Amino acid sequence: MKKITFILNKLTGFNISLNFILFIVLFMLFFGCTKKFESFNTNPTGITAQQLKYDFNNIGLYYIGIQKGIYGSPSQYQVRQNLNADNYCGYYQSNNPFRGNLNNQNYLMVDGWNGSIYGAYSEIMGPIRKISSLDTRTEAPDFWAIAMILQVQAMSRVTDCFGPIPYSKVGLSNTTPYDSQKDVYNLFFAQLDTAVSNLQAYIAAFPVAKPFAKFDMVYKGNYAQWLKYANSLRLRLAMRIVNIDPETAKIQALLAINNPGGLIEANKDNAAISGFGFVNPIWHIGTLFGDINCEASLTTFLNGYNDPRLPKYCGPAGEIVPAPPSITGKYVGIRVGTPVGALPMYRGYTQPNYEVQQQFSPTIIMNAAEVWFLRAEAALRGWTAENIQDDYETGINTSMAQWGVSAGDYLDDNTSTQANYVDPLTPTAGVPNASINAVSTITIKWNPAATNERKLERIITQKWIAMWPTGGSEAWAEYRRTGYPRLFPVVVNNSGGTISTDLHIRRIPYPSSEYTNNPTEIATAVSSLGGPDNGATPVWWDTNKGSANPVNF
Amino acid sequence: MDLKVHYRCRLLLPELSKQTLRIMKLIAVILFAACIQVSARGYSQITLSENNAPLQKVFKEIQKQSGYDFVSTSEALKEAGTVTIKVRNVSLQKALEECLKGKPLTYVIIGKTVVVQAKEENYYNTSNNLVALETLPPPPIEIHGRVVNQQGEPLQNVSVLIAGTKIGTTTNADGRFSLTAPDDKNIVLEVSSVGYQAKEVNVGKQTEVNIILETDVAGLNEVVVTALGVQRSAKSLVYANQMVKGSELTEVKNDNLMNSLNGKLAGVTISPSASGVGGSAKVILRGSKNAFGSNQPLYVIDGVPISNSSNANGQPNSVWTTGGQVDGGDGISNLNPEDIESINVLQGAAGAALYGSQAANGVILITTKKGKIGTAKINFSSSYTNQAIAYEPKFQNKYGVIPNGIQSWGALLTTPAKEDNLSDFYQHGQNTTTAVSFSSGSRLAQTYFSYANTTANGVEPANKLVRNNFTFREIGHFLNDKLTVDVNTNYVQQNLDNTPALGFFLNPLTGLYLFPVGTDITEYKNQYAVPVPERNGLLTQNWITSEVHQQNPWWILHKIPNYSTRNRLIINASMKYDFTSWLYLQVRGNIDRVSDIFQRDLYSGTNPVNVQGTNGAFTRSDLTRTQKYGDVIASLKIPFKSSFKLDGLLGVSNTDVTTDGTSMGQGLGLIIPNIFIAQNVATSVTSNVSNSSTHSQIQSAFGSLNLSYNDWLFLNITGRNDWSSNLAFTSNISYFYPSTGLSIILNQVLKLPKFITFAKARGSYAEVATSVPQYITNPLNSLSEGGGVNFNLVEPNPQLKPTNTKSIEAGIDLRFFDDRASLNFTWYKSNTYNQFIQYTPAASTGYSVGYLNAGNIQNTGVELLFTYDVVKSKLLRWNTSINYSNNKNVIIELNPGAPHGTIILTGSAGNAYQSALEKGGSWADIYGIKFSRSKSGQIILNNNNQPINNNKFVKLGNPNPRWQMGWNNTLNYKNFTLSFLIDGKFGGHVMSMTQMLMDSYGTSKASADARDNGGLEVNAVDPNGTAVSTIDAFNWYSSVGGRSGIGEAYMYSATVVKLRQLILGYNFPIVNNFIKSIRLSLIGSNLLYFSKNAPYDPEITMSTGNGMTGVDAFNLPATRNVGAQLNISF
Repeated sequence: MKKITFILNKLTGFNISLNFILFIVLFMLFFGCTKKFESFNTNPTGITAQQLKYDFNNIGLYYIGIQKGIYGSPSQYQVRQNLNADNYCGYYQSNNPFRGNLNNQNYLMVDGWNGSIYGAYSEIMGPIRKISSLDTRTEAPDFWAIAMILQVQAMSRVTDCFGPIPYSKVGLSNTTPYDSQKDVYNLFFAQLDTAVSNLQAYIAAFPVAKPFAKFDMVYKGNYAQWLKYANSLRLRLAMRIVNIDPETAKIQALLAINNPGGLIEANKDNAAISGFGFVNPIWHIGTLFGDINCEASLTTFLNGYNDPRLPKYCGPAGEIVPAPPSITGKYVGIRVGTPVGALPMYRGYTQPNYEVQQQFSPTIIMNAAEVWFLRAEAALRGWTAENIQDDYETGINTSMAQWGVSAGDYLDDNTSTQANYVDPLTPTAGVPNASINAVSTITIKWNPAATNERKLERIITQKWIAMWPTGGSEAWAEYRRTGYPRLFPVVVNNSGGTISTDLHIRRIPYPSSEYTNNPTEIATAVSSLGGPDNGATPVWWDTNKGSANPVNF
Repeated sequence: MDLKVHYRCRLLLPELSKQTLRIMKLIAVILFAACIQVSARGYSQITLSENNAPLQKVFKEIQKQSGYDFVSTSEALKEAGTVTIKVRNVSLQKALEECLKGKPLTYVIIGKTVVVQAKEENYYNTSNNLVALETLPPPPIEIHGRVVNQQGEPLQNVSVLIAGTKIGTTTNADGRFSLTAPDDKNIVLEVSSVGYQAKEVNVGKQTEVNIILETDVAGLNEVVVTALGVQRSAKSLVYANQMVKGSELTEVKNDNLMNSLNGKLAGVTISPSASGVGGSAKVILRGSKNAFGSNQPLYVIDGVPISNSSNANGQPNSVWTTGGQVDGGDGISNLNPEDIESINVLQGAAGAALYGSQAANGVILITTKKGKIGTAKINFSSSYTNQAIAYEPKFQNKYGVIPNGIQSWGALLTTPAKEDNLSDFYQHGQNTTTAVSFSSGSRLAQTYFSYANTTANGVEPANKLVRNNFTFREIGHFLNDKLTVDVNTNYVQQNLDNTPALGFFLNPLTGLYLFPVGTDITEYKNQYAVPVPERNGLLTQNWITSEVHQQNPWWILHKIPNYSTRNRLIINASMKYDFTSWLYLQVRGNIDRVSDIFQRDLYSGTNPVNVQGTNGAFTRSDLTRTQKYGDVIASLKIPFKSSFKLDGLLGVSNTDVTTDGTSMGQGLGLIIPNIFIAQNVATSVTSNVSNSSTHSQIQSAFGSLNLSYNDWLFLNITGRNDWSSNLAFTSNISYFYPSTGLSIILNQVLKLPKFITFAKARGSYAEVATSVPQYITNPLNSLSEGGGVNFNLVEPNPQLKPTNTKSIEAGIDLRFFDDRASLNFTWYKSNTYNQFIQYTPAASTGYSVGYLNAGNIQNTGVELLFTYDVVKSKLLRWNTSINYSNNKNVIIELNPGAPHGTIILTGSAGNAYQSALEKGGSWADIYGIKFSRSKSGQIILNNNNQPINNNKFVKLGNPNPRWQMGWNNTLNYKNFTLSFLIDGKFGGHVMSMTQMLMDSYGTSKASADARDNGGLEVNAVDPNGTAVSTIDAFNWYSSVGGRSGIGEAYMYSATVVKLRQLILGYNFPIVNNFIKSIRLSLIGSNLLYFSKNAPYDPEITMSTGNGMTGVDAFNLPATRNVGAQLNISF
């Protein structure tokens, strides 16, 4: 310091002394420290692991997002299911001419919609990876079992859309290899093995304990019910692959049916999501967006069958918004692929009954009726000695009970078939006629003398009705596997010749983000598809490929 | 009265023999001398040998040898005659004594300046008189004087006023004036004339005053405010700098003062928000640089940064605007333009490098007014403007509505409907601004007080702004003037009601523009709400459709109101202590506290897409943002004994920003209808309240060094080190960035043609680093409403580092024809590296979000500013200026080596518009859907004769102007002033979703024209390969229009050229002693579009954030404003 002062003095001829030093001191005093920076940069509204330790929140709360993530938020549900699978299985058709009437509903596949279901990787598989990293596998095998059931449930919806998907190597690197759909299914079964054995062991050891109750949006912590659900899920997946891999299908189906934990048999065991603010997506999209109408296949079957469930399922046309006079008060849906014109042209057509589908009504993932129909098919295939007709009729009765109606003489009706469809708004200029005669001749009453193929059509048709309103993903997969029920083709096909109107759409193209972000692996996946990456290429288990004469035996 | 005077004297030395500088400066320097601690020791050894040399020549020689400057009054020197001297190796004092021996002169040494003055007896003849002065009342004193310009030419009509009195006069043709002052105490003359810098002249006890006025063009001696509030001479600057006087902001009052600068500056792109009165302004200097984070400049008041935060409700970033985010105004719009003395714009990083972080986007330095010595002045101004929409969407009135629908695709009407419904809705907006300010001061303390009230109503009914500004500033000088304390307080209270929502939801314009043609809208206007009998008269909306996009416009106005209130307090305090003439220490502090509340009420009857339940709902958020800033700066001027001069500063600063807020969502709506208080919100398991709170701090140490050689070569070096709390948990908390620049005054070293009076070349290089957002380096789980945990799926990236902008610029500043013309040219290039990038990993990885540093966004461009006094006669003056700038933005790299190539600024969310960054593109490229075309370019149709699209979002254009130009003119004729500004932004493309929807609903004129013509002419081909030349209008517009239509068909050139401003002013001749001046102006802005191709004004923006650039989704139209303004000063 003295030296500096000296030099400056020399240079300037001024006496630099006290003042300069005073300044330096002030400078140093002002100079703060960065010790507190870590606390500054810690979000006070963030939650630390320490804060979550109690009540096992650090693991359990992951399950809320996972359970909600199966269907996602209402807007996610809309593009993940309602504007594809729900549409292709004949449940719904929107009155909204999205994208100038060029969209999924008329086979012009919208990338942004189709990619949405890939969100399952961050919403389902990401958290499960975190759960796994917390040693849940070994420390809380019961929780791990639930994680596996939910993952299989969620990811089976994804693979059934696309075919090969990334599964076994997710999260291990920035680029993720795809697994063949066969491998994915085998992994599903293996994961269900883990789930089932963990739950059985836990129930045996702690019969009344409900440690998961606090996080359970499905069964309020009842592991016995989770076990039934796991078995039922296995049965569903087993049946899916029956045409392509009958041996595995039979083995897995019998594993499910014979498991001492049992299957979902009664509506009280139905798997459905509710709580934690989860909003029923049908209510939300239908009432708040105004985007939902029923599809013509649904209304023509229910009309033709005089189905007691119809007024529970649907509201009459014109009830919410005016409809053409000729259909007002009747149950008339919109046919798939109708060029719906500018809003609100078709909005008055039949919509779901929002007295029944309310804001917080539980959203069903799997119900007892579906399981009875799966058992009927297993019996039909000769895998079990169960009475096929009993299973079939129990399925229908269980479904009726679920909706609070009585079957009456429904089961004895051997004449009613699907009704014809009349759309009073077509044809108009430039728009083809959406009106169409019934495409199904199947009746309700069980006929032991019918062919196996005909019996299967009857089972699947009833299963299809029973899985409404949120079972569209499963219904579309079963439609592709079996060819049943017979559904109306799209009125307008904007695929540019890629997808056959007669054969219907077979899958969803991969999202373009995978081509950008995961190019090498997606290329391998597409080459294993057995066809181009478009809506016409059938997935692995889809052997009927839309044939007019499906062969299931 | 300190350093500034000192320097001005020195620079005037060459003119001493010609012009008389009176005692006023001398007195100032003597006062200054009284507080000087350090005095010269007189080490210098001086040798002189002169024979009958003029005294001035001898002084120059002494100056050369000693390094001491000389200041004197030329009259005293003139009278002193010549000197003969011969000394060798004597001290300075000795040499001076020798020089002045026998002369009527004496001297005093102050710091490094020798002040030569007349001996006192010349002024006070006898001591008896002095005694008499004390006992008798002071006699009136007559002051004579002459005002000349720098060339010595007399100036006529210059106003000369004795400060603090009403005594004033103007100069005659010879520049002469005379005044009688009541006494000789503290006489300060205020001298002002249009075109010249106003001057205060301390007369002291002189009776003869000669005054030189400097021209008002940025003169050579101009002192400009640079980073940290440091004043520097303009010629030493190594970077581009533009100055705008406060009067530019107040001539035409705008509810956001930044909009007053639009078109006047090179390299500055200003986009007003489309959201009515009180809206924000998006200000971009030299192009957008950051993929994430703000691209707007840093605002600095009197050297201290302030916050420019938007209201608690933020900015829209979706054409849906479901949450109804409306623009509640930005921070800069809160200020009272009347308080602003001047604004300096530092477009480049070099000028701003000392400010760090946000300064990478440039800095806008605001210097505020302060009280002035010796004057008591009251200014009053009142302005009124009337606003009307500047253009209208084009509607059809021929085709009616379809049966059972609301689209106007029905049959031809028997009688045409009314043209449109706009006049039923829009009103004339009004802006009334009243401001009053008081300024006064003694030598020891100066006071400034102002109050302003702005009341504005928008063109959309119910949109209203009321703002009150209070400013109080006090400057005091203590401890023999060594300590200066300056405290400035601002209080702003602002209420902004019913800011229009843009986009599809809660926007009255959707319902208005899509309303069925041929149906009478007045029924819905007069009765927008109808009672529901079964709810005992509760009102519900009366509208033709329940479609989610639209509601009754008047229902939205009256039954979906929103309120933004802001209370803001800014306190600035600074203390400056002059230790010596070459060292001062300054301590400053600032608190800027902004409290915002936003509330929107949704009455029962509102479309269910916006509200849960049937009883209405409301949302509310409050946010308090506190920014604290403090710095300590030591400034040194090291007095070298050579041609080199060195000065610099060292400092430390701390910026601490906290926000704290609570926001409340709708819950499940209200329990009892239409009572909008928190107690009435129905909640389920989902709670609807959330807290947010943030804290970030930057500590800095910085220094700057300026080295000059013989006043023609200037070198500037700065360095700054930041410690950012936002980078805690990484190893990059501390980071350093330098800048350096060089300027050469060419006319001092080169022989230039005579018409070039000044030429400067400059160049600089600067780096500025910007920290990352808070909490990114320490991702935590968060609690979702209702107690769920949102688990963090972000992997902490301990390698995160600051974004780094490296920029170079080079320029030249020229003045011609005795400063009548000037030209400034700057070329710049900036590259922003290590962009902070948020990316979504491949979905299949299972991660949902990641952050990294990568990329390189480059901006290059030129800026040109030309000014010229075309006519400069006594009667008529015409000044014209032209500014030009262009900017080319290229995204050179986004994320090399990683697969995540695109950054979405605004997602499409199912609509036609998307804005994104992609390698090779430029900032905010618009993406949308294109037609599918055959190889020969024909549009491919499907079986229904509808155009097929490529179903992919591809780049359609870029909305940023490629170049812009402004032409500003001021004409003075006698007491009249006329000024006008024409400016244009050229290049770029924007999308109109308004047109898309109007077309699909058949309400647009285009849709009717197509129907009239039997369809649209197209160059298309059907699936069989047959050429199609005409396509049915409905077929076309129903598939091309609509909110998710084919964007390609709705891109428009963004070129817009307008008559932005026109002012006709008249200065009334001063009528009496009470009133000093009266000025009345007729003002107009945005009067005329010379060119506008888009169906809206592409300059206005839906959001002033990074998203929503270049899209119109039912934006409120720009307005045309006319009015008048009255300024009176007392």
